[in-house]
Amino acid sequence: MILDTKEVTKRFGGLTAVNQVSMQIEEGEIFGLIGPNGAGKTTFLNSIAGKFPPTSGKVFFLGEETTGLPAEVMCKRGLARTFQIPRPFPKMTVLENVKVGAVFGPSAHGLKSAELRAQEALEFVEFNLPIDTPASQLNAVQLKRIDLARAISCQPKLLLLDELASGLTPGELDSMMALIKRIRDDGVTIIAIEHIMRVIKGICDEVMVIEYGTTIAEGTPDEVLNNPKVIEAYLGEEEVPNAGA
Amino acid sequence: MNSTATYEEKGTAWGKFVSFLNKIGFSPLGFFLLIILALLPNFYPFSEEYIVRWLIMGAFLAAQAVAFDFTAGYINIVNFGFAALLGLGAYTSGIFANTTPFLLFAPGLNPWLTIWLGAIMAGLVGFVLGILTLRLRGIFAAVMAWFVGIALMGLVNNLTELTRGPLGMNPVKFIETPNNLPYFYIILAMMVMIYVVLKLVVGSNIGLAFKAIGQNPDAARASGINPTKYLVFNFTLSAFFAGLLGGFYAHFFGSLTPSTLMHTSKTVEVLAIAYIGGRGSLWGGVTIAFPFVFFIEFLRSNLSSLPGLHLVIYGVLMVTIMIYYPAGFSGFYFWTVAKVKTLIKKNK
Ligand SMILES: Nc1ncnc2c1ncn2[C@@H]1O[C@H](COP(=O)(O)OP(=O)(O)O)[C@@H](O)[C@H]1O
Ligand SMILES: [Mg+2]
Repeated sequence: MILDTKEVTKRFGGLTAVNQVSMQIEEGEIFGLIGPNGAGKTTFLNSIAGKFPPTSGKVFFLGEETTGLPAEVMCKRGLARTFQIPRPFPKMTVLENVKVGAVFGPSAHGLKSAELRAQEALEFVEFNLPIDTPASQLNAVQLKRIDLARAISCQPKLLLLDELASGLTPGELDSMMALIKRIRDDGVTIIAIEHIMRVIKGICDEVMVIEYGTTIAEGTPDEVLNNPKVIEAYLGEEEVPNAGA
Repeated sequence: MNSTATYEEKGTAWGKFVSFLNKIGFSPLGFFLLIILALLPNFYPFSEEYIVRWLIMGAFLAAQAVAFDFTAGYINIVNFGFAALLGLGAYTSGIFANTTPFLLFAPGLNPWLTIWLGAIMAGLVGFVLGILTLRLRGIFAAVMAWFVGIALMGLVNNLTELTRGPLGMNPVKFIETPNNLPYFYIILAMMVMIYVVLKLVVGSNIGLAFKAIGQNPDAARASGINPTKYLVFNFTLSAFFAGLLGGFYAHFFGSLTPSTLMHTSKTVEVLAIAYIGGRGSLWGGVTIAFPFVFFIEFLRSNLSSLPGLHLVIYGVLMVTIMIYYPAGFSGFYFWTVAKVKTLIKKNK
């Protein structure tokens, strides 16, 4: 087991954004985390990735307790993430953005080999603009790709993806799904927050559904998407999961 | 990135020289301008004593702008206590050079030694300031630095045994000479040293971490950067050089008062020069400092009835630049170079 969370809870004042979520992830899995907007998915990732500590509960990563460790320590231990709204370094070039992950990630690299690693990561995510393009000139989809490349160049063991596929065209979706699988085939375990049912069914080995911060279902994509509770949770949502879609 | 063309050039002596210059942060043009600046006071009218003093003030402000931009332009925190740190260095150096109260021997230590004591003292306070501002962002960090600056100034005003408070003290001079020229070369050397050291730092992995923290702390941390370490290091080094420059001030002017040295308006002056010069370049402020001092001094000698006018001019210029051209002079320079390069490519 690479990640094991025990009743992780996160409160913001009176709001319980994440409520006793326990999650076990096996090495080599692609694990889907789904749920309506505002369900607490991003907050859950934030509390295990060290953006802030959980209010209560425990987190074990690679067999050691890591509850409340800060983001930079989690990164050094092999956990990398992307952001729902990609947040690169706007005044840097594409290459520099990705280099940050290569230089400061778990395996310390000198400046030169970090640059090579960053270039590899950019090729891997099929980023095909010139690498000296300023990040401020990229659109949202391109930003997602360099954010992914930055996370990969940290050489993580566990990678958290927050709505990586949102906003892509159907064609781009296919290549993104293939890409996520290739990352997994390179030995990286993945937790992916996704909304798009085609992606969930296409790549996930296991799925957890949360609503109002609470786990309401867990299982294979087919099991979960046919679960009446899940269908109900999504009623009125933009993307109604349709098991047949 | 090194293109193949520059690799070929590297074989020649000129190519080697250029790549050495690049390493220490100079373009050939920048280095040429520096040589001109160094030779300037040997030619009339720049050899006039009062103009040499203007050049000294220019280099003093330029060096401050470099040390200030090291924080503001990279990790994106405005250190409003900058002038107070400089004053702390000035007073520390002045006190040790005059009386050395703790060691109880007079005359004090050599000012060439005490300026480093001043730098270390300012660096220590910079270290503490870095820790204090850690958990704060943007405006809150700036306000914290401002308060620490005000507290330092209050301290200097009240420790009258050591500083004579508002009466001011008179530190010994580096050298007893009616000439200003030696002082010009001292401050010019300090300016170049500070620039080269800080340029080497920002060109390294440490600089990459500064930029990452300044542009997006969350993504920086998620990439394994410990903000504490880099922020505190940045504040310490910037304060160290501020303190060193304070030592120069003490032993050049031979007169220190808290309000002329440590007041927030002094920080604002440096801030204006650094911002108009262009943040995140280190050299931008240097190019602006000299013309500014000349302009302001020219105004001052012609419009003596308007004290504080220079601050108004700084303010108006800075607001204009920040609204219409936030990249500043260095941003304009890089933009022009890029334009010229694409034009040349097109015509080939
Ligand atoms: N930093 C925060 N402070 C206060 N409330 C927050 C914060 N982050 C998220 N929330 C709230 O927590 C709930 C869950 O948000 P989020 O985790 O972003 O949901 P999801 O990612 O599933 O769409 C929402 O009600 C949101 O407003
Ligand atoms: Mg979210």
